[in-house]
Amino acid sequence: MIGALLFLFLAAQSPSPEVLQHMQAGAEAEKNRRFEVAIAEFRKVTELEPMVPSGFVSLGQAYLENHDYSGAILPLKQALKLDPDLLPAHRLLGYALLAQGHSAEALPHLEKAQDAAALGIAQLESGQLQEAVTNLQAALAKHPNDPDLLYYFGRASGLLSKQSIDTLLATYPDSARAHQAMAENYYVLRQMPQAEKEFQQAIGLRPEMPKLHLELGLVYAGTSQWPKAEEAFRAETKLQPGNAEAAYRLGHALLQEGRIPEARAELVRADKLQPEMPETLYSLGKAASLSGDNASAEKAWLKVVEIEKESDLAAQAHFALAALYRKQGKTEDEEREMAKFKQLQHTAAPP
Amino acid sequence: MDRIWWRFFSGFLAMASFVASSTPIFEATQPRGLDFTHQNSPTPQKYLIETMGGGVALLDYNNDGLLDIFLVNSGKLTSPMPTPENFSRHQPLYWNRLLRQDRDGSFTDVTAAAGLSNAGDGNYGMGVAVGDYDNDGYPDVYVTSYGKNILYHNNGNGTFTDVTAKAGVAGGGWSVSAGFFDYDNDGKLDLFVTRYMDWDFKHSKTCGGEWHTYCPPEEFPATTNILYHNNGDGTFTDVSQQSGIAAKKGRALGVAFADYDEDGFTDIFVANDGMQQYLFHNNGNGTFTERGLEAGAALSEDGRRLSGMGVVFQDYDNDGRPDIIVTELPREIYGVYHNEGGGSFSYRSLETGLGMLSSGSSGWGVGLEDFDNDGWKDLFVAQGHVLDNVEQIDPSLRYREMPLLAINQRGRFQKSDAGVNSPVVGRGAAFGDLNNDGWQDVVMTVLGGRPQVFLNHGGKQHWLIVNLRGTRSNRDGLGARVRVNGQTRIATTAGSYLSASDKRLHFGLGPAGTAKVEILWPSGTRQTLSDVHADQILEIREPERP
Repeated sequence: MIGALLFLFLAAQSPSPEVLQHMQAGAEAEKNRRFEVAIAEFRKVTELEPMVPSGFVSLGQAYLENHDYSGAILPLKQALKLDPDLLPAHRLLGYALLAQGHSAEALPHLEKAQDAAALGIAQLESGQLQEAVTNLQAALAKHPNDPDLLYYFGRASGLLSKQSIDTLLATYPDSARAHQAMAENYYVLRQMPQAEKEFQQAIGLRPEMPKLHLELGLVYAGTSQWPKAEEAFRAETKLQPGNAEAAYRLGHALLQEGRIPEARAELVRADKLQPEMPETLYSLGKAASLSGDNASAEKAWLKVVEIEKESDLAAQAHFALAALYRKQGKTEDEEREMAKFKQLQHTAAPP
Repeated sequence: MDRIWWRFFSGFLAMASFVASSTPIFEATQPRGLDFTHQNSPTPQKYLIETMGGGVALLDYNNDGLLDIFLVNSGKLTSPMPTPENFSRHQPLYWNRLLRQDRDGSFTDVTAAAGLSNAGDGNYGMGVAVGDYDNDGYPDVYVTSYGKNILYHNNGNGTFTDVTAKAGVAGGGWSVSAGFFDYDNDGKLDLFVTRYMDWDFKHSKTCGGEWHTYCPPEEFPATTNILYHNNGDGTFTDVSQQSGIAAKKGRALGVAFADYDEDGFTDIFVANDGMQQYLFHNNGNGTFTERGLEAGAALSEDGRRLSGMGVVFQDYDNDGRPDIIVTELPREIYGVYHNEGGGSFSYRSLETGLGMLSSGSSGWGVGLEDFDNDGWKDLFVAQGHVLDNVEQIDPSLRYREMPLLAINQRGRFQKSDAGVNSPVVGRGAAFGDLNNDGWQDVVMTVLGGRPQVFLNHGGKQHWLIVNLRGTRSNRDGLGARVRVNGQTRIATTAGSYLSASDKRLHFGLGPAGTAKVEILWPSGTRQTLSDVHADQILEIREPERP
C-alpha cells in the first residue's frame, strides 16, 4: 500500500526516469523479500526526491520488514516532518517505536493512526491498563480469534484486575473485600485452608455481603466437606432467595449428602429461578431418579441433551438415561443412549 | 401436652442412639506374638510398587479351629535397583509371616517351621489368596508379587511345600489381588490373578513436577489378568486366552466373585484403577464376556472412570442378590452398585450414604460383615492415600487415615467409631472371627507398618457361623449361596484388597435364637436346615446326592 502511495505521488510529480527506476527496483526487491536491496533503492529515491514524504515512508517500511526497527525510525520521522498528517507514517513509526520498547513515545502516533490493536498493546506496555483493555477489546471485536490479541487482552485484563486488588489490599487491608480477594486467590491456587480462613474473616466483617457464603461453600464443596458446604450455601440462599446458583449449589450439596427429597426441592426451586440451566437439570434428574420418579428424571435429562449437544454434561446425561432405560427394561433406548455416551466420551471426556 | 412429651421423648431417644453408636465396636489391639512390620522400603525414585502392598489372610492352616494370620511382606528396594532385581527376601526382615494362633489368643511365628521363609529374592510381595485347591481339607496359600507368584501346598502337618513350578501358576509381571473360585463347577478350585500394569524398574518414572510423586496408572500400559483352570492333578492350565479373560486389558487391583445373575455360574468383578471396572460374566461354557458397562457396574453415576482398588461382592440390603462395593481415591466416592436382578446394577452411593462418608478418603481393603450382629452387613474399609506427600499437594487430603467403619441401618450406612486413635496408611484387610465368640474381627495391614487387629467387643445379639463342607462341590464350598433368616452370603475367601478372609460364613441373627439355613451349593444342590440353634459354629456337609 505504501508502495502504491509512493507510485501515485511520484506519478503526479512527474519524477525523473532515474527515480522511477529506483522506485520500481525497490518495490520489486521488497516483493521478493530482498529487504537490503529495497532499503538501498528507496534510499536513492529519498536522495533524489528529498521533499517527497512517501519515499521516506517506503524506506521506513523496508527497514521494518527487515526487522531493523531503529533504522526505520529516522526516515519515518523525516516523513512526518514533511507531512505531519501522513497516517501511514504515524502507524509505521508507532510500530517501530513499540518494537524498540518506546511504548510511551509510540502512543501518539498509534492514536493518530487509529490502530486499536497496536495502541492497546502500547498502552498495556505503558501501564495504561484501563485504556489498553478498551482498545484490545475493540480490536478483538474485529478479529475475534486472533491469538496475539487474545493473549494481550488476557494479560491486560489480568494486570488491571491485579492492580485494582493491590490497591484494595493496600488501602483497606482489613476490609471484607480484601479478605474476599485473598480468599479467591487462595481458592484458585487450591490452598483451601487459607481460602476458608479468609472467607470466614470476610463473612465475620460483612455477613450480609452477597456471594461470600456461596464462595465459602465452594471451598467446602471442593474438599468434599458437604455438611459445611450445605450450611454455607443455605446461608447464601437466605441472603439471596432469588439466586439460582445458590439454590443449585445447595441442592447439589444435599444430593451429595444423600438427602434426596430436600435436594430435589431445592433443585426444583433453582430450576424455577433460572430455567434451562443444564447443570441444574442434570442434578434435578439425579434427584428425581433417586426418588423413584423416573418420568421426571427422563424429562430433565432429555432437556440436558437438547441444550448441550456435545459437552461432558451431555455425555453424563446420555449415560444417566441409559441407566434409567436399563432399569425400565427398555433395551433399545438404553443401547441408543449408551452409544451416544460412548461417542461423546471420546470427544468430551479426558483420556 | 402429648406433643410436648413426644418431642422430649424423641429427643431423648436421639441422644440415646448417639451414645450407643459412639461406643466403639472394636478394640484395636496388638495381640502378643503378632510381631510383624511390613517392609516396603520407600525410595526417592518413587517406584510405584512401594506404595501398593501388602496383603493379609485369615485361615486355619492347621485345622485346630482357630484362625491364623498370614502376612505378606514386600522387600528391600535400593536406588537404583540392580539387575537382576533382588529384594533380599531371604533376610528374615523381608519374610512373609505365618502366625499361628494359640489357645490364649496370642500368636506364635511358625514361618520357618512351616517352610514359608523363602519367598524368592526376585519377588516383591503383594497379596495372598487362600483355597483348598486339592480338596484335601487343608487350606493352601497363593502369594502374589511383582516378579513371580508362589503356590504353597498345605501338607496337613503344619508345613507347606512350594509347588509353583509343578502347578504352573508363577504368573509374572506385577500380580496384585488373587482369589480361588470354581468357575466351571467341576468341584475343583480355579485361580484368578489380577495384574496391575505393565511396569518394571527400567520403565519407572516419577510424576508431579516439583512435588516428585508416584505416577498415576495412566502413565503405564495396561495389562491382562490371568485365569488358571485347576486340572485336578495338582496342575493348572492358563486359560486366560481361551476363556476371554485376556481379551480385556486393564489396570486391576481387586477381584471378587459371585453369581450375580443367578445362572449357576460364578462371575468375576475386577476393580480397575483409573478406568472402567470389569464385570466378567461367566457364560457357563468356560468363557467369559465383559459386561460391566452394559450391566451398569463399570463407571460412576455420572459416567466417569473410577480408581477402583478394593472390592466386595456381597448383598448389603438383604434382597438376596450380591451387590458390589468398590473403594476409590478421594473426590471419587466409593461405588455402590446395587444388584437390581436380571443381570443389571444401579449406582447407589449417594442414597446409601456412602458417598458422603467416602468423598475425602482413599479406600483399599473392604469387607461387608455384620459387626453388630443385627442382621445387616456393615462396612469396613482400610484407608490411606497413595501419595506419601499428598498433604503438600492438596492440604485438604490426608496420607494417613482412620479406617472407615460404617454401620448398616437397613441399607443406609452411618459412620461409627472404629476404635482407633491414630491414623495409618491402611491397605489390606481380612475378616473373620479370631476368637470364635461369634463377633466378626478384622486384621488390617499398614503400609510400612505393623498390622492392626480389630477385636470385636461383642454384645448380646445372636449369631451363627456356617462352615461349609463340600462333597460334590469344592470342599470349601466356595461359590455357595447361603441364606440365613433372610440374609444372604456368597461363600468366598476373596475380595477386599490383596487379602483373603475366613472361609466360614458369619451371620448376625439379632434377637433370634434359631435360624433357617438354606444353601445353594455350586453343584446345584439345594439344602435347607430349620430350627438351627443360634450362637454356634455349624459345619454343614453337602449331601452326597442331590
